Amino acid sequence: MNRLSAILVALVLAVAAQAAEIHPPQQVTAGTSITIPTSGSGEATFYLIGPDVASKKKVQAGSDISVESDSLQLAGRYVAVLCASDGCASSNFFVVPAAPNKLSLLVHPSRVPVGSANGISTVAFVFDNFHNFVLKPEQVKFSILPKDAKEISADRGSQNGVAWVRISSAKKEGPVRIAASIGNANEVRVVQQVAAEACNLRIKASRVKNAFLIETDPVRDCSGNSIPDGTVVSFTKSDSAGKTTVDVPIKRGVAKVEMPIDGRARITVASGVVTGNELDVAGGQPQ
Amino acid sequence: MSAAVRYSLLILVFALVVCAFAVLHLGAAADSEVPHVEFNADNIAPRQIEDLTSKSVPRDYGFAWQTMEQALNENRPGLLDGYFTGLAKQDLGNRVKSQIGSGLHTRYQDRGHKLEAIFYAPAGDAMQLRDHAQFDLQVLDGDKVIYDEPVNAEYIVLMTPGADRWLVRQIQAQQMQASQGEK
Repeated sequence: MNRLSAILVALVLAVAAQAAEIHPPQQVTAGTSITIPTSGSGEATFYLIGPDVASKKKVQAGSDISVESDSLQLAGRYVAVLCASDGCASSNFFVVPAAPNKLSLLVHPSRVPVGSANGISTVAFVFDNFHNFVLKPEQVKFSILPKDAKEISADRGSQNGVAWVRISSAKKEGPVRIAASIGNANEVRVVQQVAAEACNLRIKASRVKNAFLIETDPVRDCSGNSIPDGTVVSFTKSDSAGKTTVDVPIKRGVAKVEMPIDGRARITVASGVVTGNELDVAGGQPQ
Repeated sequence: MSAAVRYSLLILVFALVVCAFAVLHLGAAADSEVPHVEFNADNIAPRQIEDLTSKSVPRDYGFAWQTMEQALNENRPGLLDGYFTGLAKQDLGNRVKSQIGSGLHTRYQDRGHKLEAIFYAPAGDAMQLRDHAQFDLQVLDGDKVIYDEPVNAEYIVLMTPGADRWLVRQIQAQQMQASQGEK
């Protein structure tokens, strides 16, 4: 009888001394509230440590602990800790991204010359509603929406939350809209397609007072697009005195400069890496 | 004792005090060392990594971890300004503020990072990396350790170039494969 009593007392003490334990789910979807069962008894402190949270609250060991969804929005590693009078118990769990529903779209450059093969880099980062990387493969739809032409689109699979594509610019200058979409997300960027390098650069000369007016024909690229105003054209005069270069921005499609010329001289023109025709002038008259 | 000798002694004592202060300060700085980062860019695509970038990315990532560990230990969100930007800075800043509110702080004993570059944007304006990090993690409530565990963790990281360094824009821990043994 005495032995039985002793066993019973030992059992009661063992139950009473049961250490607090905490059992969060192993995996939680971002933005979902959870209930964490605990064991033990008495007053305890519950801690939740995550990527953007480090909270602490008083709880009753042995009861379920509710964790609101706004504490579990960021994907990553979380630690749940329960500290009672007999010590602390902890358990890790992961919050995983929710369904893809946001995109971050990087399109470069914002201005691209026409006819540039693979000249536009388009990268889409796939996120869920809480801006977590969605790492499992997803299909991202890339679209090119030219101003006066039909939309072109293609799907690309994401890897580790990234999908990308290279796009060639059109032959005609003007804006082009580039879009990427997934779920309810649709991001659009505008790229300005501008004229490429000058092509068939030509100059002519005419006499004005004591100098010569050197003027280009309308400056265009090889596709016939006007080179933007402000692009620099360099005129170089070579004569017995040496070389003189004058840089002139294009205005209203042409570049012109007045050059005083004594004796014989050769005039050349260039814009960027492109050179144009040469003019020889002598005795104040073009040849 | 002449005035010259007295002044010399004073200068000597002052110099000793300055040296002692410097030694103490250097000792404090050495508490938070830059973690070891082993970098691998063999599988990077679609853009090839430049020589300079292959040096600056692991260097700046190491500095980012150093400042993050210091910020979380000392509850100083301002330390995150140097090597974090965007959501990474915002989220870690929220963590530090949350720690301040709860009276907690986090101590890291960093045991190194294996950093693998996996994506480099064609325009060179973003790089995605995978980090296999090992560290001992302690969470303290005041002076009481409430959590203490060695951690093997894997992170997906997005870095973007800043004016003179690469910045961590996103850092997200992901569940490791069972064989790799998440602790």
